Amino acid sequence: MADLYDRYGRAAYSLILRIVRNTGVAEDLVQETFLRVWNRIHAFHSERGALGVWILTVARNRAIDYVRSVDGRISLGASEFEEQEGSGASADFEQDILSTDRARLLRDALAKLNTNQREVIEMAYYEGLSQSEMAERMKQPLGTVKTWVRGALKILRAQLAQVAL
Amino acid sequence: MRTCQEFAELYELYVLGALEADDRSEFENHLGTGCAVCSRGIKDATSLVSLLAAMPEQVQAPSRLRRRVLASVGVEKPRWGWVVAFVATAAALLVTVLWLGSQNRKNDLALAEARAEIRRVAADLASAQSALEFLNEPETKQVVFGQGQQQPPRGRVLLNAQRGVLLMAAHLPPAPTGSIYELWVIPKQGAPRPSGLFQSNGQGNALYLRGGAVDLPSTSAVAVTVEPASGSDAPTSTPIVVAPVGGL
Repeated sequence: MADLYDRYGRAAYSLILRIVRNTGVAEDLVQETFLRVWNRIHAFHSERGALGVWILTVARNRAIDYVRSVDGRISLGASEFEEQEGSGASADFEQDILSTDRARLLRDALAKLNTNQREVIEMAYYEGLSQSEMAERMKQPLGTVKTWVRGALKILRAQLAQVAL
Repeated sequence: MRTCQEFAELYELYVLGALEADDRSEFENHLGTGCAVCSRGIKDATSLVSLLAAMPEQVQAPSRLRRRVLASVGVEKPRWGWVVAFVATAAALLVTVLWLGSQNRKNDLALAEARAEIRRVAADLASAQSALEFLNEPETKQVVFGQGQQQPPRGRVLLNAQRGVLLMAAHLPPAPTGSIYELWVIPKQGAPRPSGLFQSNGQGNALYLRGGAVDLPSTSAVAVTVEPASGSDAPTSTPIVVAPVGGL
């Protein structure tokens, strides 16, 4: 567990803190995240996916659920698919998830997004907002927001496909 | 029903949990059919979304968080050691300070008592010295009082025309709290003259010298009464000592 924390603790804390914007709450949620991972780690199968991805997914879901509970919104539901142990990214992906090269590629990809595209991606990632919620937040037509989301994802897929797949 | 091509636009949003409820429901029904294309698409989308974990600025987590996390899963015991050490140290310091304070207070008290004792001894010595000198004076006269009485006090009164009156008493218990003994020189004519306040010691002995000239021929007696602690200008109680000196 110590190795796991040493490897992903900082990323989990940074991610959660970015979402909840409160250091005390972030610490609570990091603890909750690792406790949840620890209690379910027996079910983790490395061949099914990357441990780091799972941990950070749990961290993100915990943080978004916290913000939603504070805002009185419906929980993200931590879609069971998302948090299934090891679902998603391949195990080979593990080494790369937080590497400097990956971070640089991500920055380059995000730099290709325009302001609106960047904003909708951040709202989806940091807040788990649906497109209609984004439209309401941004006071823009739903169709416009969907266009921004579609465009942003297209760019990200193109820029990151070679490293993400 | 949408096609896999149409669902492809939803993969990342689904992974992000950002789908509308109806879209989500529809897509999950589709996934429930075992669609290999969309399942693969979701896996790829998960990889892509996972990369976004590096999006936030990386900040250093507090070191205490590591201990807390590891303690919560039982890997590391909570590090209360420093708290215990701190409390123990603080308690030890407190005890030491209290002990030192107590010792200081004891020392101060002992010192004060010693000084008081020295003052008492010095005063007694001075009184004894004065009494000795008084006794050695050839002109000193003396009378006894209390002789034949079954109840104390008993003693002597010595008078010297130039040096004053010396009272030596035994079996004279200390005056009650808030009161004091007062010596009176009673003239043959007129009111008793207040001649000083004194207290006997714990053994019931008293040695009191009232300095100054005394007109012996006009003095009829020396008396002692119990008076308020501040003394009185005239006796307020029955004398407990009366030493007639009319014949001197």
